Amino acid sequence: MTYSPKPPKPPLFSVRNLRLSFPDHAHKPLFGAAPRIEVLKGLDLDIPEGRITGIVGESGSGKSTFGRVLVRLLEPDAGEVLFDGQDISTMDENALRPLRRNLQMIFQDPMSSLNPRHKVWRIIAQPMKRYKCGGTRKDAENALEKVGLPADFADRYPHELSGGQRQRVGIARAIALQPRFILADEIVSGLDVSSQAQVLSLLQNLAREMGLTIAFISHDLSVIRHLCDEVIVLNHGEIVDCGPVEEVFSNPQSDITKSLLSAIPRPEIDESWFD
Amino acid sequence: MTTQPHENTLEIRQLNATLPNGMRLLRDVSLTLEPGEVRALVGESGAGKSMIGRAVLGILPSAVVHSSGDILLEGQSLNAMRPKTRRSIVAKMSALIPQDPLTALNPVRKIGPQITDPLVRIHRWSRDRALKRALELLERVHIRNPERVMNSYPHELSGGMRQRILIAAAFAPSPRLIVADEPTTALDVTVQKQILKLIRELQRETGTAVLFVTHDMGVVAKISQKVTVLFAGRVLEDAPTEAIFNDAAHLYTRGLIAATPTPNATAEPFRPVPQDLIAQLQRDTQAEDVRFYQGGRK
Repeated sequence: MTYSPKPPKPPLFSVRNLRLSFPDHAHKPLFGAAPRIEVLKGLDLDIPEGRITGIVGESGSGKSTFGRVLVRLLEPDAGEVLFDGQDISTMDENALRPLRRNLQMIFQDPMSSLNPRHKVWRIIAQPMKRYKCGGTRKDAENALEKVGLPADFADRYPHELSGGQRQRVGIARAIALQPRFILADEIVSGLDVSSQAQVLSLLQNLAREMGLTIAFISHDLSVIRHLCDEVIVLNHGEIVDCGPVEEVFSNPQSDITKSLLSAIPRPEIDESWFD
Repeated sequence: MTTQPHENTLEIRQLNATLPNGMRLLRDVSLTLEPGEVRALVGESGAGKSMIGRAVLGILPSAVVHSSGDILLEGQSLNAMRPKTRRSIVAKMSALIPQDPLTALNPVRKIGPQITDPLVRIHRWSRDRALKRALELLERVHIRNPERVMNSYPHELSGGMRQRILIAAAFAPSPRLIVADEPTTALDVTVQKQILKLIRELQRETGTAVLFVTHDMGVVAKISQKVTVLFAGRVLEDAPTEAIFNDAAHLYTRGLIAATPTPNATAEPFRPVPQDLIAQLQRDTQAEDVRFYQGGRK
């Protein structure tokens, strides 16, 4: 496979000098404000349209926080987040409303992100109704078909599905709205290897067919390697490595990337792995 | 307790477990674990790998109505014991490293007593000895300030740290057997490597045998000496780890290995275990169920 050069389109997201901090209540003095912990320390990056960008890092590196800023679940302290040219970092909720449909999310734990009292079709149709782009049972069944689930799954409840099937419903709910951007936060870390492979190949095919722009957050570099076009490695809220996947993997610049790569247990006997 | 050195730490004979609706969780599972050995139990979710660990520890869910077969700990049959004796023997000889470090610790108690209490109550150690051992183990798992950690509550610590504490607690009484139920699934790769290394070091030091439940063939390759591959509660393959990775006998085992993503290969599709193979295995299992229910059951 050849690596196609960057598309001529402008990036979907342009992030400039993004900073974010949380108050550290554990060290709050009795009087006065709690000290702040810097989580994102001035990120500069672009997310190209129509590609899958992987965001990796250890726990606590700020990868999920960064993702949440992209879909504006969190408001940054400083910097700008240009989505399709408009700065969404300081927009108020009313101005954001029409954009929300374009910023969808797939969550890590489908059991807690799918309403346990709703049938699958309602879970998928509800946001469609909300954004006035359909919302009939038929629409939900179409979305199910896209993620490779038979139409009769529409009448099931989340607890009647396996982990991989639940995650497919999560994907169906996100793509049903035809968003311009999907944030996938650790969506396969709860699945066993075989269902993991199924969900990932599904996501890859959907991305190719529909030209989706996806930010894929994960700590698993082997998954990123096969799924993503671009990768960003975060460590303590800073970018330590970024670029096309092939480049970063064959020639990692930072120690963090190298240690993440070497920590992956490969399915082969290797006595020296622990040294 | 006197034990012959050649005796298996754990022996499971023809273990069966069934739910009230007739669904079989475990089907004639047999396996052995030698002293100081790590055996990996692998399979997809629902294959029954955690069930085996729970059966050994005597903590099967109460919904399991029927179970047969026998479990021997260092040659002693657990079935032959009265429940009270069984509980105390199991508690003394074995320990569990649970999957989820976030829920396994009591949130309203400090770390210290959570490690020392079992040592005092079950193993009848003195408070001083238990405290010393806890500090020693916390140091062994690379916790920098053990005294402070003993005085902390679980919410003050990170996930990796909590998992290390649970490992320290499991190894503290130097048990003969540890059941590790996916101990690294919730952690990221760098912490996972540290934790695996710790388990390996401690296990070699104390000579503890480990039943290691996981679905990650990468982890299996690194930590275990023997592997049991399960499908729908049935043992498909039981072999030394080298044999599994160099020349697996069962197609399903090969499928699991192929499904494990690696960072080195060039762009290649994700390879789940082939659907027709799974369908075939399911047919086999159903046929076996028919024989099971028609055959000699009262």
